[in-house]
Amino acid sequence: MAPSFSLPFVFESLPSATASCATIADAELVAQLQQGSEAAFRTLVERYQQRVYSTAFSLLRSAEEAEDVAQEVFVEVYETVTKFRSETALSTWLYRLATSRALQQRRRATAKKRFAYFTSLLGFQNQVLHEPPDHAHPLALLEGEQQLHLLHQHISRLPSQQQVAFTLRHEQDLSYDEIAAVLGTTTSAVESLLFRARQTLRQHLHSPSRHV
Amino acid sequence: MSNQASGAGPDQEEWSALLQQLRKQAAVHPQPFFYNRVQARLAARQGLAGSWLPGWARRPAYIALVSALLLVMSGDGAALRSAATTSPYPTYQPDAASSPYSH
Repeated sequence: MAPSFSLPFVFESLPSATASCATIADAELVAQLQQGSEAAFRTLVERYQQRVYSTAFSLLRSAEEAEDVAQEVFVEVYETVTKFRSETALSTWLYRLATSRALQQRRRATAKKRFAYFTSLLGFQNQVLHEPPDHAHPLALLEGEQQLHLLHQHISRLPSQQQVAFTLRHEQDLSYDEIAAVLGTTTSAVESLLFRARQTLRQHLHSPSRHV
Repeated sequence: MSNQASGAGPDQEEWSALLQQLRKQAAVHPQPFFYNRVQARLAARQGLAGSWLPGWARRPAYIALVSALLLVMSGDGAALRSAATTSPYPTYQPDAASSPYSH
């Protein structure tokens, strides 16, 4: 068996193929972390930071918010790792934390935006409402990029469960079983969520008048 | 495992290409020194958790409010009576009998 911490990049690049090896290494990592090892925590953060961050980014489309969520996820892992039971894969737990915290963050941001809009209507404050910044350059939004931009917009309007399933499948490359574990549901329910998500997205992407 | 929704042909190809593009774009990374920032947040959190006071009680406005409330309830407010009642000089008190309006 390969040493636990020597090949983290292998697990990063091939999450599904090396799942069993990664599980062994993760179990050992969790055991060390439960004993209070800071080195184990560092290894865990370095191994999973990209996956946690990119999952949060996919759901929030904001680098600052994704960073905040990713940090919170690892802080929560550190604080509650003693309660972690090894029946669940570490990656499943992390994805679950990342998606739930990202959705929570988005709900909070939406509520804040609605409240700001409401108070602006009543004239309580004279602040100018601003949309989240769109960093895409106008030229980059042409053709293919424009379609991708539209796709992002429509993904963000999907119901939460569908959005998480779609993001984990098509952006994080997770299998149906892994997604089912993250969402705490069955594989067939994931299939159904993904089918509906794809159908909605394709309808929305193809409904506007097309010039090509 | 199929990624495809219903449909085939050029639309299907376009959709697959779009999903591929989406996957490529999803490979984002956090800024460098991410672990250091996590550690700093953890240290800040543990610093707050170490204090016996709840979070709201550490705000100056609450401290001032609680102090004022304690001062009022302790009865020390009696020391802050108005100057008229605590003046050492006798104040003019009209005699009720000599008042033209007493009858």
